[in-house]
Amino acid sequence: MRVLLRILAPLLGLALAAAGVLFVIEVVAAWVRPDATAGLLVPWPDWRATLENLTWADAPVPGIAIGVAAVGVALVLLGLAARRSDIHLDAPGGIAVTTAPRVLARLVGTRIRATDDVAGAAVTASARKVSVTAQAWGDATPELRGTVRSRVDELLDELPLRRRPRVGVSLQEREGPR
Amino acid sequence: MTAADLSKPGVEPTALRRRSRSAVARSAGGDRSTTVVLGLVLLAAGVLVALLSYGVFGTARAGRPLLDPMIVDAVRAQPLLARVIAIAAGVVLVLLGLTWAARSVRPERRPDLALDGGPDTMIVISSAAVADAVAGQAGELPGVGRARARLVGPDTAPALRITLWLADDADVREVLRRLDDQVLATARSSLGLAALPVAVRLELERTHPHPRVA
Repeated sequence: MRVLLRILAPLLGLALAAAGVLFVIEVVAAWVRPDATAGLLVPWPDWRATLENLTWADAPVPGIAIGVAAVGVALVLLGLAARRSDIHLDAPGGIAVTTAPRVLARLVGTRIRATDDVAGAAVTASARKVSVTAQAWGDATPELRGTVRSRVDELLDELPLRRRPRVGVSLQEREGPR
Repeated sequence: MTAADLSKPGVEPTALRRRSRSAVARSAGGDRSTTVVLGLVLLAAGVLVALLSYGVFGTARAGRPLLDPMIVDAVRAQPLLARVIAIAAGVVLVLLGLTWAARSVRPERRPDLALDGGPDTMIVISSAAVADAVAGQAGELPGVGRARARLVGPDTAPALRITLWLADDADVREVLRRLDDQVLATARSSLGLAALPVAVRLELERTHPHPRVA
């Protein structure tokens, strides 16, 4: 979302500026050419005729209004969702330490895959929760689930995380030879 | 507070932590709030027009033309005032749009460090020199594959942003302790700064898979 915001923000700014430039040009052009029947860059006399003959209740108006409202909702959601999803760590000396959720997910994944009887693992992580889906070579026993969980807890103990995320573990049995 | 003020003892730890946190990454706060405000304006306009269209404010009002003759008459009654207002609105739109776009694409500042060297003396250390020295030392810490540093923030209150690429088996706690004790302590003492806001970003070194065939 932050990437989208970084791309969209200058484009929206330029669009606003372009609209302002066109507006000023047309107003000044209409001022200095009072007898002109057409706009300089924008066919505003045609637009004016359309707007004079169209009422608020006519067909395209409600649809366009709903479309504008939907664009507004999308922009509000984009602005709100473009916050950083960093994971904060404690450090000495007032240093602010952060890392990305994918870094934590990769650390957890590496640790889980090194466990006996685990064929592979998929991990999603955030500051609040770490979810692990591990594939077992043999039966997905409760003991293996406990082992995987303890490996994740062990890793989280080693990291100076400011907030310890909850851990969720699910196991799947892998078919085929080991 | 100026960079020279940082050399004096007694900088508030809370203020130091706050400045360290704000140095973590380039702020997108301006873009976010402007986008939210623009979105709210569009949402309000869209909802009001939709309600007007569906007759919530009265069927007679919904049946009036979009370019209302009352408004046209009012504009014709005061043409000079209407033109001035229109031009001013357009200029405001241009200024707002250009300011927003320029702020969005402007590169982040990398301030030089200006230190007070005594009466009539100002020592300026370039941003690149500080960054290279810190990155070079941080990159040699055990568990750190490579490091990058840069000075960020305004000229009057610079902060240090360090990115460390760690090995998978790095002891994060130990790396951070050594960074503070060795690298940052050296930087503070050599620059004569009692307090330097520091933000550290941790990444993992990319692992190169072993070739299946030798």
